[in-house]
Amino acid sequence: MLMTQLKMDLKMFFRETFYIISIIIPPVSYLLMGQMYGDLTYAGGLSYAQLYTPTFIILISFVTILFSFGFDQVSNRSNGTEKRIQLSPVSSSLLLVSGILKATIITGLGFVFITTLGVFVYDLQVTPVQMFLSFLGLILLDAVMLLLSSAIYSIFKSEKSALGMSIVLFQVVLLTGGFTIPLAVAPKVLQVIGHVNPMNYVNQFYTHIWNGTLAFSGEQLNGWIYLAVLSVLAYAFIIFQGKRKK
Amino acid sequence: MEMIKVKDLHKNYGAKQVLKGIEFQAKEGEIIGIIGRNGVGKSTFLEILMLLKKYKDGDVQLFGKDIQNLSITDEKVMKKKISAVLQPTQFYKKLRVKELLELFAKYYQCSENVAEVIENFELEEQLKTFFDNLSGGWKQRVSLAIAFLSRPKLVILDEPTTGLDPHMKEVLWDNIRGYSERYQTTVILSTHSMEEVELYCDKVMLIEDGQSVFFDTPQNILATGYENMNQFYLQNTKKGGK
Ligand SMILES: Nc1ncnc2c1ncn2[C@@H]1O[C@H](COP(=O)(O)OP(=O)(O)O)[C@@H](O)[C@H]1O
Ligand SMILES: [Mg+2]
Repeated sequence: MLMTQLKMDLKMFFRETFYIISIIIPPVSYLLMGQMYGDLTYAGGLSYAQLYTPTFIILISFVTILFSFGFDQVSNRSNGTEKRIQLSPVSSSLLLVSGILKATIITGLGFVFITTLGVFVYDLQVTPVQMFLSFLGLILLDAVMLLLSSAIYSIFKSEKSALGMSIVLFQVVLLTGGFTIPLAVAPKVLQVIGHVNPMNYVNQFYTHIWNGTLAFSGEQLNGWIYLAVLSVLAYAFIIFQGKRKK
Repeated sequence: MEMIKVKDLHKNYGAKQVLKGIEFQAKEGEIIGIIGRNGVGKSTFLEILMLLKKYKDGDVQLFGKDIQNLSITDEKVMKKKISAVLQPTQFYKKLRVKELLELFAKYYQCSENVAEVIENFELEEQLKTFFDNLSGGWKQRVSLAIAFLSRPKLVILDEPTTGLDPHMKEVLWDNIRGYSERYQTTVILSTHSMEEVELYCDKVMLIEDGQSVFFDTPQNILATGYENMNQFYLQNTKKGGK
């Protein structure tokens, strides 16, 4: 049953033109930005590819999860599909597992695709161990994003307000998550927002994991604690919302 | 055999009392219509029977079991015997009709019935269409096909024929009656068509002000001096719904 569910979940994702466009944009931006800033050296002595390959992988994952664990949920809730599923004898954990597998597969594809571009276009050097660790790290950060996204979208009942929320979230994350300009050179307001934006930390950590500079001390440790606390809160909130219904 | 027994059912949404004492029973193979003004609580009642909504007071038994506080396993077993068409009817937009049938056949573990349902509901011509692109009547037809796919003991239909053209209504009713006879399925449906109640329902329940004020066969009701069910309805419900 899980295989059928997963197959259908993947089909539905790849049939939404809007979703496809949204996961094509990050690799295209990766190439375009590389054309402009590809020769610069960034903070910590990182090259363009070392800094932006992990960043754009996270961006694809963010978009995927925002859709499948956010917008889709609201859409199914508001049009009655969720109710129809609830009254059938399928367990919610099966649906959840399928959703997680779907997100892992799609973000995994993004990972492979962007890394391949990096290797061929920007002479990115990668080792198998580094790839393996980076992939595990991606799955972990996927889980964080999934919890946050589910929690935020559990509030919404109408597709319209969920769409509005998606647009705002997307803008905020793009501007203050280090996805376009590095936060250090951004205007003060953006820096302040970036400081509380969890996606900023997800992005930073993934860059650390990717470049082997991960550390559980100092500033990094604070960031990890912040993400962990947010995830626990999000989980508690999802459970609470689930109990409140009916 | 008694499939459903409801005694003195009460349901409120916050401070708003919706159901204030429903009495209802259904036997195997019966087709029962639920009528009443818009907003009187028909969908609420049906969704309680579908195990989608909780209720406060009263006693509801399905297949001889109290549905308040079912264990997770009992609930799953029960959900397998029940199927429904909701109002409004919706499924995953971006799946084709054939794919929806396959998916729900997995949920109800009855993949061997897919071909039969396609034939009975004459779905062949739309199998490749995305659910989202179907007309309203076809959506209803596919929903009904999915509802009968598992040959459930109990089928609950919330206004299944509202807004459909007469041909489509006929297709749906032929199937509802056909399945009910063949598998002794109990069918409970809400409707605003008094003609359908008269033609097809074994019994009818009228909800007014949260209570089941009439529950009888259309024949018995007509025998008390009404010209038709429409007259009965108009004389026993207050003007102006919500
Ligand atoms: N989830 C809900 N929360 C609050 N009120 C509701 C909810 N669902 C239905 N109602 C209210 O309960 C009443 C009965 O609704 P419903 O069962 O849908 O009536 P019907 O199906 O007969 O038109 C209506 O006044 C409706 O506004
Ligand atoms: Mg209704």
